[in-house]
Amino acid sequence: MKISLNWLSEFVNLPADPRELGAVLPSLGLGVESMASVGDDCVLDLEVTTNRPDCLSHYGVARELAAYYQTQLRPPRAEVHESGEPAASAVSIEIADPELCARYCGRVVKNVRIEPSPAWLAARLEAVGVRPINNVADVTNYVLMELGHPLHAFDFDRIAGRRIIVRRALAGEGLRTLDGVDRKLDPANLVIADETRPVALAGVMGGAASEISAGTRHVLLESAWFEPTSVRRTAKMHGLHTEASHRFERGADIEMAPVALNRAAALIAEIAGGEVLSGIVDVYLRPLVRGALTLRASEIHRLLGTDAAEGDVERILRSLGFAVQSETPGRWQVSPPSFRLDVSREVDLVEELARHLGYDRLPSRVRPAPPRLEHDELRTKELALFELLVALGYRQIIAPAMLDPAECTRFTDRPAVIISNPLSQEASAMRTTAVPSMLHALRWNLDRGQEDLRLFEVGKTYTRPARAGDLAEERRVLTLGLSGHRRPASVHDTARALDFFDLKGDLEALFQVFDLEALEFKAGGCSYYDARLSGRYEHGAGLLVIFGQLGEGCAREYKLRRPVWLAEIDLESLLGRPLRTPRFRSFPRYPVVVRDFALVVPDSIAYQQIAAAIEQQQVPEIRSFRPVDLFRGGSLDHGCYGLLIRVCFQSEVKTLTNDEIDQFGRRILSALHPLGIRLRHQG
Amino acid sequence: MAEGFVAALPSAGSTAVQEASPAERQQEIVMKLEEKVALTLDQLGIRDPASVQRLFAEVREALLAERQQLVAGGAADEADRIRLAKALRDRWLGRKNGLLSFIGEHWLKPAERDLKPSVGRAFNELRQLAAELEVERLAAQIPIRAPHKAAESPEAGRPISAPAPDLSLPGYRRPLGSIHPITRVQREIEEIFLGLGYRIETGPEIESTYYNFDALNIPESHPSRDDVDTFYLDARTVLRTHTSPVQIRAMQKFGAPLYIIIPGTCYRRDNPDATHSPMFHQMEGLAIDEDITFADLKGTLDYFAKRLLGERTRTRLTPSFFPFTEPSGELAVSCFLCEGKGCRTCKQSGWIELGGCGMVHPEVLRAGGIDPDRYSGWAFGMGIDRFAMTKYDIGDIQLFFQSDVRFLEQF
Ligand SMILES: [Zn+2]
Repeated sequence: MKISLNWLSEFVNLPADPRELGAVLPSLGLGVESMASVGDDCVLDLEVTTNRPDCLSHYGVARELAAYYQTQLRPPRAEVHESGEPAASAVSIEIADPELCARYCGRVVKNVRIEPSPAWLAARLEAVGVRPINNVADVTNYVLMELGHPLHAFDFDRIAGRRIIVRRALAGEGLRTLDGVDRKLDPANLVIADETRPVALAGVMGGAASEISAGTRHVLLESAWFEPTSVRRTAKMHGLHTEASHRFERGADIEMAPVALNRAAALIAEIAGGEVLSGIVDVYLRPLVRGALTLRASEIHRLLGTDAAEGDVERILRSLGFAVQSETPGRWQVSPPSFRLDVSREVDLVEELARHLGYDRLPSRVRPAPPRLEHDELRTKELALFELLVALGYRQIIAPAMLDPAECTRFTDRPAVIISNPLSQEASAMRTTAVPSMLHALRWNLDRGQEDLRLFEVGKTYTRPARAGDLAEERRVLTLGLSGHRRPASVHDTARALDFFDLKGDLEALFQVFDLEALEFKAGGCSYYDARLSGRYEHGAGLLVIFGQLGEGCAREYKLRRPVWLAEIDLESLLGRPLRTPRFRSFPRYPVVVRDFALVVPDSIAYQQIAAAIEQQQVPEIRSFRPVDLFRGGSLDHGCYGLLIRVCFQSEVKTLTNDEIDQFGRRILSALHPLGIRLRHQG
Repeated sequence: MAEGFVAALPSAGSTAVQEASPAERQQEIVMKLEEKVALTLDQLGIRDPASVQRLFAEVREALLAERQQLVAGGAADEADRIRLAKALRDRWLGRKNGLLSFIGEHWLKPAERDLKPSVGRAFNELRQLAAELEVERLAAQIPIRAPHKAAESPEAGRPISAPAPDLSLPGYRRPLGSIHPITRVQREIEEIFLGLGYRIETGPEIESTYYNFDALNIPESHPSRDDVDTFYLDARTVLRTHTSPVQIRAMQKFGAPLYIIIPGTCYRRDNPDATHSPMFHQMEGLAIDEDITFADLKGTLDYFAKRLLGERTRTRLTPSFFPFTEPSGELAVSCFLCEGKGCRTCKQSGWIELGGCGMVHPEVLRAGGIDPDRYSGWAFGMGIDRFAMTKYDIGDIQLFFQSDVRFLEQF
């Protein structure tokens, strides 16, 4: 809302330095977007919150300033010199739908001269961003900007039957509005009609046919009150947003209707000549009835943390237009004015006081919560998880949760939550899987020359509930996406491409953080993974991780120019487990003996089986073992591979002798024997 | 004793070989290995099993080091590869002059009786290791060099005495990951309120219109409920437009007193551009207790801003309007870049808008099952993305959601 300070100063005395208003107005809740000099005037652009349509006018803003500066508010002149003929005999007004139009006031001005507005009026309108048209139309806009009440002027000769009927549009009716657009009307639209057809879209825009033009002789002025929701619906339906609809939508002042009408009639008579017929045709079918509110000093104290002086309470509220009656000390009956539809409770009155006492002058104290014992475990786990992922080289991404549902069905058959009013097909459903998001992220980077990628996302997937009315299932998942090299090439080392075991190793590190029940690794991921280079981890409750290299077909569909690896981790299951609690185990004082076993293993045997066989021996002296080399070919028989396993032997109670170690070694070998495994270089 | 069972070398973790640093040890072996294998153990002064183990450990190290050097050195072409691999193999396993045959001849054969088992085992182990020096397999591991390097490259398998390394080369860095700036900011805010004893609450993103609007005193006719602004799934389900529905859910779940913060993802039907994203992140704070006043709102938010942006930060609270608070306010902080003097970030105003706040509306308390005559509360909400944009000087909100590593690596 643009406010001219010259105009404003007609209603209230302003401070000598207008820059002061740049701080005062925001402190009252009227944000100042900008302040600009226009000739000898200064124009402020105010940000008015939706609850304060009364401040969408110079007079409304002046009222706030008069209250702030504790000075007089001067109402605008509105004495109308009427001629003999009663308006009521010139025009008949009927409200057919009092639900949508509570009041309709009309005046008739005869024999006007339509011409450009005088310079002072045109300048004021231009200063506040309104384009001058002609003197009569300009007066309606002038009064709108001054008092905040939208008016409309009809060419009275174009009103068939000299009758105004406020009714809903009939099916099939149309109207060409002032902007030249032919509009099909809907019965949801309230219209102003004459005897034969609609002449204006009520509260939104007038019709072109009855527009004030150079040839207009007589004018019918409308000042009404339309129901906010209906105006909003109609404006939206027709894609219109006008100064009038903006105010009616927020709630106009029903008592201002005749005042604004008189002000406009007086101005028209002044600048366009003409005679104002006597009387207002005022159809007021649903008078505004508002009860008084009780205001208690105790409530002021309870909400603001301070007492307000009784004098201040009454002065502030009265200067804002409230009627205040003191009941007992510390208790008032307060009637809000008709222009303050936003005030309907005691707390609303407290807010008025807080505003005018000044937010910056109210007391302040820091308020911690009372101490509590519980600890946010979930957050601790999440922090540990993030910390590890960062240490492993993963960068966190946040990916859009809205996708094309067709894209998700490539990966899962879970039913999607569909958005009924999406911005685009590509973002028309909540994702049922996080895989496409990660693939998009990988592709985005690969296409931009970023090739060494380790990304992670902690986000949700969403599944449509089985029963309508239930909440959708929102499940948090952790997704890893990798491509490129384990470590980039440098002077110290050649680059080495990532492989399956880089990802598997990262997952193993991840499992170290949590106190997980036994995990079972199984080869093979699911349809969109490379069957040879994918796997899964399962635990008691089910699938925990599925991971591996993305299958060729899928990689092609996503135009991924490099091999990529994915891991999908059921975060809720993972975070459902406690963090691993460290417990110190003293290390034995006796020496560790390391021995390597060069094994020849049939191709059909997986390492997992070898490890299980060794573990099954349950030899406490086998402190640890791991595979250190794996090779094929050479002198090895076809159908076998060589595996070098390094075993650490250590006892907690003694130094092991060679014989003892040999014995453990034999136990290992005999455990592996049934798997067809033998030592290499026997003999 | 199990035949062929590789004898343990006291290598990696054991104490026996830890006296000399790897570099020193390598030097020693490089200089003397050929000489050593020409002598007997007795001549080398090795008379106990521990020394035997140590000696063999050195030899083993030497073998591994040479193999490593061979691979690192690269080859000129395929034939060169085979030649280099053969050379190494012959050096160790050559029938006549291989190091292993010297060791068998000079160390094992003449060994004293009491040393023989340990020498035997160690020699056996060394043979196992050397047996891996197969020409084909070795050759396959040698990378073929770019041509211009070929001339200066040392021949594999031949010991080299390299000049001291150039320590001014950059270090060999492990790639580190990074935390998304939105998460960073979210964590910072969380820490401050956790320090005040608040609890973190979350709620569903797919929300009923009741929790998203009705319970928050946002009437049916309110423009924000419009399907131009809000994503609808059906007439009664939306993508939450703010984190405020969690206020109601938390009130219903925990009752009063209640001190919580609510971080989360929200959605509004804004076409994406530099300052709008249909998906964004919010943080809310909520305190409900018997004597919460506007003073608590002011003081706590002032404390929050100072912790977030520095002790010298000033806060400004101006009246505003939200359906779910009354009185309502807009919180601004003095610009942390120019300290209030005016700059590009604060659009010359000296102030940066942080978020909205207010005393919880009595109807909202009532919807949460809390008696508004007994309890009062304050609430605060801010955009995490928006604050992160200001804090890190990010001009385009889309950058948060593109996953571009060039963006992510800056945090
Ligand atoms: Zn600044």
